[in-house]
Amino acid sequence: MASVKLTNVKKIYDKKVVAVHDFNLEIKDKEFVVFVGPSGCGKSTTLRMIAGLEDISEGTIEIDGEVVNDLQPKDRNIAMVFQNYALYPHMTVYDNIAFSLRLQKLPEDVIYNKVTNAAEILGITDYLMRKPRALSGGQRQRVAIGRAMVRDSKVFLMDEPLSNLDAKLRNQMRAEIILLRQKLDTTFVYVTHDQTEAMTLGDRIVIMKDGYIMQVGTPTQVFEMPENLFVAEFIGAPKMNIMRTNLRRNMNGNYCVTPFGSEIEVTGFKNEELKALNARDGEIILGVRPEHITLTENGGPNTIPVTLEVNEMMGSELHLHVYTEDGTRIIVRVPTVDLDPEKRCSLVSGKKLNITFTGKVMHFFDPKTERNILVKED
Amino acid sequence: MNKKKSYSPALVSILIGVVLCGLVFGLLFLVRNTLKANDTGIVQMAQTIGRKIVDPYPINPDHIGAVLLSLLGAIMLVVGAALIISGIAKLFEAIAENERNMMSYVPGALMLLCGAVIAYGFAKALLLGVTRFSTEGMYVHLFIDAGILLIIAALLIGMGCSRLVRAQKYNRSVKIYGMPPADVNRSMGLKASNLISGIGIHTLLVIMSVVWLIPFVCIILQSFRVETAMPVGYVLPKTWGFGNYTGLLKTDFPKWYLNTFIMALVVAVLQTIIVLCMSYVLSRFRFKMRKPLMSFMLILGMFPGMLTMIILYRVLKDLGLTQANAVPGLILVYIASSGMGYYVSKGFFDTIPKSLDEAACMDGATKAQVLFRIILPLAKPIVIYTILTAFMAPWGDFVFARYISMNTSAGMNVAVGLNSWLSLDQINSHYTMFCAGGVVVAIPVTILFLCLQRYYVEGVTGGAVKG
Ligand SMILES: Nc1ncnc2c1ncn2[C@@H]1O[C@H](COP(=O)(O)OP(=O)(O)OP(=O)(O)O)[C@@H](O)[C@H]1O
Ligand SMILES: [Mg+2]
Repeated sequence: MASVKLTNVKKIYDKKVVAVHDFNLEIKDKEFVVFVGPSGCGKSTTLRMIAGLEDISEGTIEIDGEVVNDLQPKDRNIAMVFQNYALYPHMTVYDNIAFSLRLQKLPEDVIYNKVTNAAEILGITDYLMRKPRALSGGQRQRVAIGRAMVRDSKVFLMDEPLSNLDAKLRNQMRAEIILLRQKLDTTFVYVTHDQTEAMTLGDRIVIMKDGYIMQVGTPTQVFEMPENLFVAEFIGAPKMNIMRTNLRRNMNGNYCVTPFGSEIEVTGFKNEELKALNARDGEIILGVRPEHITLTENGGPNTIPVTLEVNEMMGSELHLHVYTEDGTRIIVRVPTVDLDPEKRCSLVSGKKLNITFTGKVMHFFDPKTERNILVKED
Repeated sequence: MNKKKSYSPALVSILIGVVLCGLVFGLLFLVRNTLKANDTGIVQMAQTIGRKIVDPYPINPDHIGAVLLSLLGAIMLVVGAALIISGIAKLFEAIAENERNMMSYVPGALMLLCGAVIAYGFAKALLLGVTRFSTEGMYVHLFIDAGILLIIAALLIGMGCSRLVRAQKYNRSVKIYGMPPADVNRSMGLKASNLISGIGIHTLLVIMSVVWLIPFVCIILQSFRVETAMPVGYVLPKTWGFGNYTGLLKTDFPKWYLNTFIMALVVAVLQTIIVLCMSYVLSRFRFKMRKPLMSFMLILGMFPGMLTMIILYRVLKDLGLTQANAVPGLILVYIASSGMGYYVSKGFFDTIPKSLDEAACMDGATKAQVLFRIILPLAKPIVIYTILTAFMAPWGDFVFARYISMNTSAGMNVAVGLNSWLSLDQINSHYTMFCAGGVVVAIPVTILFLCLQRYYVEGVTGGAVKG
């Protein structure tokens, strides 16, 4: 029901620690935006500035076109779910959820309807008369969401709402948040440090590092076209393999990379783009995702001989940790169905293998700026 | 052996407790002695100015001996108690480990016996020392003696029996099923030791509370004494009656009582509000000069309030708030600097997670609503503590009240008023009434404590924020 616009927002703590630098973002109405990044990168700070819990040192935040810099949190009509739930321990679940409605002085029967309705959606009807300390982590989480839900607020903020839950519950709650989002149909800003959550939940992802935005884009964009090395490594699990190598044109006029003494041709649209850019030969940082590396039967000029170190069986796929002759570690991800059982059994530590990279899905980064050379500077 | 460890902390605490108890005894007597010495001094002074001379408290050189006797008694009592407890613990360990060799029960039993003998002997010495002063004290002595022994015996026998029964059940269960019975979830040895220390602590508490109750019992007994009104050397009244209480109504006492009550009530309300608001602001708001303000108040609080007495008197006199108008004047004095007593409640507020405030803010609460609907309900024990201390201060104040009421009966509080009955020309006609007044004064405070004390125990922040 509302758009949020951050213009040149900056946060300086205690006159010295700059937590957020020059943050520019426009969140559209009913969009689900996820802030993701490593610990301490300023995600919570940005979210709390939107909420009004932190002062904005510089820049402006607008909600629905209205600058809210100087508005109290209560006047911004924003709901927030805290990482540690922050339920009121002296109130029952019902009173916790009803708190904001009571402050609005709504009549009790309206409050009753709203609370029971929210409780039904979240499946906490049975616990309404309990105190928060008598609830499990997952139930508390639902109460916290319920408390934010009943308010019909313009923007819904969530700060790592799932990080205190165990892996199974987290997956379940993630699905429920997607459902919730369909039901509420409002603007969401969601903070997490987990790239899987970011990829599955977000319409758009904002990847941050040390207070700077590294990239803003849809999950597909940030996965397929990372603007820089940081994003490339941060998004995707297992993490992208990075190696320093050279880029040059071969006899056919196609580009090729030369990792570990082999020569692998760049194909498809990446090749076209490089040609269009007329990239110069020279040193480059090459990024290859583990799923874009294949095992080959025979050696050859376009393969890299490696030795298997660890074989992680993940069920539907294998994660092979291998190292090259000069000791560089590479992770290869092989779908289990691609391997016959005999071959699978032979994959033990110390086994010699040959690998090659898929030419059309390689990523190239400038060794100095660490920017993706195929993404135009704006 | 870790089994021993499980009761040694209890032993240590008992030791400390009983040594403290002994010290209290000693102090009690020293204080009594000095008081007497002073009284005699006053008496002698009175003699010289030719007043009627009564010397109700002859100094007995034996008193020092009595003090020493009771101290020694107290200390040896501890030794005895320690012996008893370790003896019992040893016995139970032996029982718990299902010892078949009878010899392993001997050390425990011996220790128990020795402890009992020593403790009994020195308990008597202690009580003799305590009751040395008055012949009538013999009653008290006998009463306490018998009471303590009965309580200890009952506790030990009761607990011991139930232990024995359970140990038997345990042994049978182990013999028949090869496993302990379902209702035993810990090792018997550990349980036995915990139990022993429990008995020890409770015995100690009983002893200490009896000791501490003696003065109150004396005052209550005196207040029912109607045969004479002057201080006498015995505790139990010869004639009982309510005369002293009804007599209070004919004096200025109701006026004093009302004065005190009004002051306590007003101060309790105002001071609580001021202190809690102050603490909330210092705990939750960040503003310029906050730290300097806090340390300034801390330093200011270190000066004794008495320093301000003279200037306060001057100011209040100019405002016309002394003597008969002392009540509003005193209220001003009591609440004037109450904001500086923020430490305890600020410390408590600081432990309430800030994210609760933030959540409430997001829910649309103003700062005041955060204080009244979130912080205060969570800080109930500290609110009650603040109310109680604020109420108690005027209730028991003597110095300021005395100074500002300046011998004007209409402006006195109970402490000052009752004190005036202890002056030389009034004591012989008002002493028992003084005791009655003391009892009446104690009533509201006692009721207040009884009602509010349960809040202290209430745990509050459980489950608030996941750690
Ligand atoms: N109150 C504060 N005073 C000073 N510095 C702060 C304060 N709060 C946060 N910071 C700093 O600001 C930076 C960003 O903090 P922020 O809490 O936004 O990180 P985050 O991205 O949410 O990390 P996490 O994933 O661990 O929650 C950190 O370097 C942190 O040390
Ligand atoms: Mg955070």
